[in-house]
Amino acid sequence: MIPATMLTNALLVGAVLFCLGLVGILTRRNLIVMFLSAELMLQGVSVTLVAWSRYHGDWGGQVLVVFVLTVAACEAAVALVFVLQAFASTGRLDASAWQALREENLPRVIDHELPADDRVVPTWPHLSPAGVVPEGHDSRSLERDHV
Amino acid sequence: MDPVSTATVSPSGLLLAGSVAALAASLWLLLPKASDTVASRRLGFLLGAVALVGFAATGRSLGCVGEDAVFLTVAGIAVISGLATIVTRSPVYSAIWFAMTLAGVSGVLLVLGAQFLGVATIVVYAGAILVMFLFVLMLAQPSGMAPYDRVSNEPMLAAAAGAVLLGLLTLSIGRLSAAEPPACCRMPSRAQALAAAAAPADGAAAKDDETTSLIAPATAGGDTGDANEVAHLGAELFGRHLFAVEVAGVLLLVALVGAIAVVSRGEATETDHRREGR
Repeated sequence: MIPATMLTNALLVGAVLFCLGLVGILTRRNLIVMFLSAELMLQGVSVTLVAWSRYHGDWGGQVLVVFVLTVAACEAAVALVFVLQAFASTGRLDASAWQALREENLPRVIDHELPADDRVVPTWPHLSPAGVVPEGHDSRSLERDHV
Repeated sequence: MDPVSTATVSPSGLLLAGSVAALAASLWLLLPKASDTVASRRLGFLLGAVALVGFAATGRSLGCVGEDAVFLTVAGIAVISGLATIVTRSPVYSAIWFAMTLAGVSGVLLVLGAQFLGVATIVVYAGAILVMFLFVLMLAQPSGMAPYDRVSNEPMLAAAAGAVLLGLLTLSIGRLSAAEPPACCRMPSRAQALAAAAAPADGAAAKDDETTSLIAPATAGGDTGDANEVAHLGAELFGRHLFAVEVAGVLLLVALVGAIAVVSRGEATETDHRREGR
């Protein structure tokens, strides 16, 4: 059993997480980040459900959170398959790549003046080679300077 | 007395309005935009910290933020990582910040006394779902920082909407702990029935009954915070909710089969060709 102040504490945390997830899903254009924002909203709801469940001494809220976990796993599996298919057909993880599906009266999303890629390219330490350089493909084609 | 009008003129109402404005400005500055500079992001972080403190202070003046240091720590981790999840440009870092959020949420659940769900959040979310996200990111990440990660849709409107919604939720949560509930909301809960049945109530619960909340907490019988928490949750899950468990199992199976069916697109595999040739 938890006191009333603990209940309202947890409700506030749940509300903050829910609103952050809402902002994320409204603004971000990367499909993966949109799904992460949806999961953030689910986390907020889970915290709220558990708080009420513990406050009332009723197991219903926690049982519901168990099912939320189950459905989130199913949703992530199916949705990520669709994301992969979308990436395979457009080469982008961009939600606006599918704007041909929009309503006719809505304006088209046009990317004006995209920001310059101003990130600093890291300078890696130069190591002296040890041993024989292996034959084969140019391994630089597999390297990435960012994640 | 109208609670809304008192809230708008009281200092806590002003504090709440200031926090909402700071949060909206912070989100707008932090979200990826074309006109981003390092200075604007720093200002955004600063305003975000101000908004966080403001919301905590608002909740405190509304009488609903306690002083549990452990809770405040894990809640702060969850909230700050959640903010970082939605404003980070790189989706991989976003996923890693989300893992941090999950750690914080798991801590919150543990403090609340839901041990099984706290562990399940780490195991299922961070261990399975998040790893699946990272796999997809590795498979589908285009080379170079994608331009659509550096812009966002309507950042100003979305930040304002989110901040205002959070302000309203904070207000209603504060009123929940302070206001006298209307008669229609005072439903007799199962916990109350149990409490009435178990007559010897302890002193703390009786005190809680005096400081009127929406529904008085139970005193005995329905306590969910005992050492056998997992056992009780399992009994509840496989007792009252057995049918729902079966349905969830079917749902998992359908999702598995559906995901494989969408990926394979019904194309014939090598084995099928060999079998046809034979």
